[in-house]
Amino acid sequence: MQRSNRELWLALIAMLLITLLYLFVTSYYSTIPSASGFFGHALGIVGFILMLLTETLYSWRKRSRSARWGRMASWLRFHIFTGLVGPYMVLLHTSWKFNGLAGIVTLFTLIIVLSGIIGRYIYTAIPRTPDGIEIEAQQLSQQIQALEKQLQQITAESDQSTREVARRLDVLPRTSGAPLLILLGNTFYEWRYRQQWRTEKRRLNAAARAQADQLQKVFNRRNTLRRQAQTIANARRLLALWHAVHIPIGVALFASAFVHIGAALYYATLLR
Amino acid sequence: MEKPLGCLSVSGYLVTILTLAIIGGLILAQGGAMFSPGELNAQNAAAPLGGVLSHAELQHNCGACHTARWQSSTMSDQCLKCHTQIASQITDSQSLHGYLMAEQGTTCYACHTEHNGPDAILTVMQTENFPHEVVGFSLEGHAQFADGASFACADCHRDGVAKFELAACEECHATLDAGFTQFHVAAFGQECLGCHDGIDTYGADFDHNQFFVLEGEHASGTCGGCHPGMRTMVEFQAAPQDCYACHAAEDKHNGEFGINCEVCHTPVDWEQATFDHALTNFPLEGKHSNVACESCHQNNIYAGTPQDCYTCHAKDDQHNGQYGTDCALCHIPADWKQATFDHNLSNFPLEGEHVNIACEDCHQNGVYQGTPQDCYACHAEVDEHNGQYGNDCAACHTPVDWKQATFDHTLTAFPLTGAHNSVACADCHQNSVYAGTPQDCAACHADPVFHLGLFSSVCTDCHTTTAWSPAEYNQSHTFPFNHGESGVSACTVCHDPTLNTYTCYGCHEHTPANIDSKHREEGITNYTNCMECHPTGREDEGGHGD
Repeated sequence: MQRSNRELWLALIAMLLITLLYLFVTSYYSTIPSASGFFGHALGIVGFILMLLTETLYSWRKRSRSARWGRMASWLRFHIFTGLVGPYMVLLHTSWKFNGLAGIVTLFTLIIVLSGIIGRYIYTAIPRTPDGIEIEAQQLSQQIQALEKQLQQITAESDQSTREVARRLDVLPRTSGAPLLILLGNTFYEWRYRQQWRTEKRRLNAAARAQADQLQKVFNRRNTLRRQAQTIANARRLLALWHAVHIPIGVALFASAFVHIGAALYYATLLR
Repeated sequence: MEKPLGCLSVSGYLVTILTLAIIGGLILAQGGAMFSPGELNAQNAAAPLGGVLSHAELQHNCGACHTARWQSSTMSDQCLKCHTQIASQITDSQSLHGYLMAEQGTTCYACHTEHNGPDAILTVMQTENFPHEVVGFSLEGHAQFADGASFACADCHRDGVAKFELAACEECHATLDAGFTQFHVAAFGQECLGCHDGIDTYGADFDHNQFFVLEGEHASGTCGGCHPGMRTMVEFQAAPQDCYACHAAEDKHNGEFGINCEVCHTPVDWEQATFDHALTNFPLEGKHSNVACESCHQNNIYAGTPQDCYTCHAKDDQHNGQYGTDCALCHIPADWKQATFDHNLSNFPLEGEHVNIACEDCHQNGVYQGTPQDCYACHAEVDEHNGQYGNDCAACHTPVDWKQATFDHTLTAFPLTGAHNSVACADCHQNSVYAGTPQDCAACHADPVFHLGLFSSVCTDCHTTTAWSPAEYNQSHTFPFNHGESGVSACTVCHDPTLNTYTCYGCHEHTPANIDSKHREEGITNYTNCMECHPTGREDEGGHGD
């Protein structure tokens, strides 16, 4: 589990556990749990609460510069976790019926999740401090230069074999093409880059492998900064655009969801 | 907080308002159908209910079924407004809907769900908890198949839970026991639910013996043989268990032995009857144990059989009825000949020598009746008194011993008293002649010489039988007994013991000298016979002065 993707793994495990529970209940009652049943209601209520937390807590923390409760990165991870698990529970709550307003709410939910996933990559394309403060271009350039020096120093102190690997893998990330594709494709690039390093390091002896590990970390950080430096302008435009789409969908989602909850209370829960 | 949340921004408010406006518009246009979780059932009823043929016609009229919390009417009330037939069932707690709604407080929608599509089944119950007994058939006996598999609704309700084909019973049970099922259906018909309510488990586990032990011929009988025409559990369990209820028509005894057949018969075989005669009023003893039943109970008639001996044994009576009809007085069932007549029960108890004599001594020629009971009838020829004492021998004699006669003389005209008790009989009854014995004293006691004929022959005037002496003279006496100051207390005061003489000397001043002196004074010289001059003892009686 990569540290940078820990919230995704945790969300995946949580969804897996919820799925197992869902299948057990389905098997036990020999029917899909209805939305109005105890289990279905529980899924909907908990899922919606998680979605509310997703919507509010991270945004509050992001806007509250004076209240330093936890690092922004941690809040973002929590935001991502609840933003995946909550909608998944709401999806199970539907009992796979998408009629009327409830279906629209589900549709909004799916859209907002997909939008959130895209937004995550746009957001991370903009260099920030651990507290979420954007790093300016000049600072970014200085950090890149410092990393270049660090690379030269480490390479000079390394074995010949390590230097050969560093030379082969000293490549810059792709920065041409549509900005959104570049942002989204970066994940694939980084994965392939990690595979290349893993392949190269297998050929090295133990001492050279330790040097290579050090070099890989510096290369990754330098590449990330370089990519961000080259895409920061596009990323900021995309982020603004994303906000313009994501927030209204979210507002529409929660407005519809509250109406759905009211109708459910009126027509079902409070039914006599 | 430096920046507002996105939802609280102007665009957020606008989107919220727009969203709510769209929803509101749809509500106005569709009547809340957008909140429907699914389409309503579209299966048409045979006739309109509440003005519609199916729920689907109410798709846009949520209020037709759904009521608000603050309204008095509930959703079930809304259902019953259209489904009036169900509304009438609710008043009957024995009906399914009456039980579920009135007794259990169940709502309509607890079993009848909607919004599951136009072709969905409207009745979806929690079958695990469904009180199936309310519909007249408990699932108590249908929890599992013979192989242990659980029953499902569809095993019996092949076309949905609302329908039930009786053929399902027969087909399923035929797989268990085809022979029995065929026989059972032939005997009781195919209306299984007419008899079975599901609680009865008349399957492999049913043990008839817990109600009525099936043994002998009963084990091979048919159910209908004992339960004819019975269809309900109550009827089956009310089947009589006494023999006579079923076997009265077969009673060869025509009810003479009552209705407790089991006293003699067993279910194994009617013919193997084992009657215990000891339970009757006439236990069989001795020879009676070996005689055939018909000997006493002719023509299979048992009731009213006489219990006295003579009814059966009159022809055997060698006494020709002389002893009456109560044979048991002498005879026992073990053996006629071992007669043990208790003579003490007769009017002539045997005592003394009578116990030892042979019956024939008194009852000659086997004649018992009319045997005289007086002694003389038998003992006249041995009467040593020759009839002098009459024929009431028992007045003196006892059966113990003739010679130990104890004559009670007090019973005669001459009771023995005093000295008579100690004299021998022969002193008075000489030569054993008792009759005519004189009873006057003189007959035995001659007047003593010394009486000189002075006294009468009635000795008892002076004497008692206790002793001759002392005698008390109460007859006339010339000389007064009150002579003197204290009177005369005894004869010997004046008389000698023989009473032949008397003397006045010795009393008072009557000394010979004194008397001689006084008489001489008067010139009387012949004064030896005092009584001649003084018959009453007075001094002046002599005529010569005092």
